[in-house]
Amino acid sequence: MTHSATLPMPGPGQRPGDGRQPLARHDGYPDGPPRLMPAHGTDPAGLAEHLGRFGPPPYRGGARRLIGEVEAAGLTGRGGAAFPTYRKLAAMAAGNGPAPVVVGNGAEGEPASSKDKALLWYSPHLVLDGLQLAAEAVGSAAAGLYVHRNPRLHERLAAAIADRAAAGLDAAQVELIEAPPRFLAGEESALASRVSGGLALPRFKPPRASQRGVAGRRTLVQNVETLAHLALIARYGAAWFRSTGTPDEPGSMLATLHQADGRTGVVETTLGTPIASLLRLPAQAVLVGGYHGAWLPAGQAELLPLANAALRPLGAAVGAGVLAALPADRCGLAETARVVRYLALESAGQCGPCFNGLPRIAGALAELAGPRPRPQAMADLERWSGLVTGRGACHHPDGTVRLVRSALRVFAPEIDHHAHGYCTAASSQPFLPLPAETALDDADWK
Amino acid sequence: MTTITSSTALWYASRATGVVSLLLLSLVVMLGIVVNRQGRLPGLPSFAVTGLHRNLSLLSVLFIAVHVATAIIDPYVSIGLAAVVIPFTSAYEPFWLGLGAVALDLIAALVVTSLLRARISRRYWRGIHWLAYAAWPVALAHGFGASPDLRSGGLRVLAVSCALVVGAAGLWRLASRAGQVPRAQRAAAALAATRPGGLPRPVRARDGGAR
Repeated sequence: MTHSATLPMPGPGQRPGDGRQPLARHDGYPDGPPRLMPAHGTDPAGLAEHLGRFGPPPYRGGARRLIGEVEAAGLTGRGGAAFPTYRKLAAMAAGNGPAPVVVGNGAEGEPASSKDKALLWYSPHLVLDGLQLAAEAVGSAAAGLYVHRNPRLHERLAAAIADRAAAGLDAAQVELIEAPPRFLAGEESALASRVSGGLALPRFKPPRASQRGVAGRRTLVQNVETLAHLALIARYGAAWFRSTGTPDEPGSMLATLHQADGRTGVVETTLGTPIASLLRLPAQAVLVGGYHGAWLPAGQAELLPLANAALRPLGAAVGAGVLAALPADRCGLAETARVVRYLALESAGQCGPCFNGLPRIAGALAELAGPRPRPQAMADLERWSGLVTGRGACHHPDGTVRLVRSALRVFAPEIDHHAHGYCTAASSQPFLPLPAETALDDADWK
Repeated sequence: MTTITSSTALWYASRATGVVSLLLLSLVVMLGIVVNRQGRLPGLPSFAVTGLHRNLSLLSVLFIAVHVATAIIDPYVSIGLAAVVIPFTSAYEPFWLGLGAVALDLIAALVVTSLLRARISRRYWRGIHWLAYAAWPVALAHGFGASPDLRSGGLRVLAVSCALVVGAAGLWRLASRAGQVPRAQRAAAALAATRPGGLPRPVRARDGGAR
């Protein structure tokens, strides 16, 4: 069984799971998914249930001691970059100077992703355990949890943190920080700026957050799902972690699925799972990795596993685990144009190539999405795409151009149709989720 | 007008490269201001303005190097190596050559930090780059004071033109700063400036699609 928990969006009284039980067990803990998501009928937000199932965080009694286990487990960052977690921990633990700060990143600015929200809602104590263990591993006594704006979730997390403090579970004090609803709010330097009290704006590197981050201190930033995996690795070990997934990309992962029929959910799956078993195909095309990701033709996607080893050669990546099946009756160009317009408006307005270039790219793509675009719209699009790549303080222009280029490849036949004045789509109903509001002033970046 | 002989060649070379350096530095400062304000020059995309700014600044380094080297080597006046980098220590024209040394040091700091830009903090690079606004007038004053070349004739026209161009660019910088779009609205403003109908529109299917 590759996945077994299809979760609704976080809401009161909702419970995950579809009733399937994992077969193999280790220390009473399942080998396969769901690992991160709670068992049926429990309230994971309750500290008592969490302690009953997992016990207190297995502190190692000193810095660095957990890092070898994380390296053996082969855990990679689940925020999108898939960077080996042990290397970030080791570099932070080896650094000189004042103790570093550790921040769990649950900003999840990507509108198509809900997995961090779901994880924080259903398994907050696993994330908070991971935060404590990461802080211990790098010798830090200050931790933060940076979470997108959602009053109910914040209330729940604040209560969880208070319960833990009352129970004396936490070695490092945890501060809960609200992330603004901006696409780039979770970018590492934007996070460091926001947690320091400033605007959530990406900064030029160097210095990286690991060199000078929150309040000028060295800062370790880990996605909240990565921290939850860390909490389990600390308990059940590297061999257990590797017992699912592929040898190169071990472990389970959370994915947000957007089915062609409009249904959406978060599942816990394993790396290497066939995309065809996650999405109900056929569809017209599959968006892999979210809005900085890439479109793949459905015929190609249905033969591929959800693994970077298979996706990277095709210009795609697992990213933060977003998969969207575009229904046959929609226009892929119109969908991409909507998303790219949103991405252009989410530019932080700091780098000329980004805040001038992305709107032009969005405009040209909108033209291609309409009837009878000017012949030079395509050439403009390619030229501007080349001009903005690699020219920002962050990777916003690069990620946006990746999406645009994949759309030009996958929807090339549709571009031809539009050039002749018609579109194959039967519905102009928007499909991919986008927030209604964009930033107007600095307050919207706080 | 004297003629160029083997004994005056270095002197002429130093003066000529000095004049070319002033011209180049003025263009570099002007282009730098345009780059800073994300402005455009007719017929050039903005990345080309940045490229021109960088390349001309490296070219000016070359001319300044020849200007300084020929001044040292030229036996007519003796300028020590130390006096080239330590301001106001020259035996000959200590004040005006001292200004040259100040300008040289400032420009060296600008060039070195720019070459290391990918490796140092953006904040340091930016802070150092503000020194350009000090280096240029100091270099111009050095040119006017150290040699009578710029005080008359065509070269005076050139020097005054350089000053006017840089001054105009500086005023434009101040003005464009006043009329600046707030950071948070820049992308929206740029999107509004793309052609009308730049927003995605629904496209009507013809006869239920063309599959």
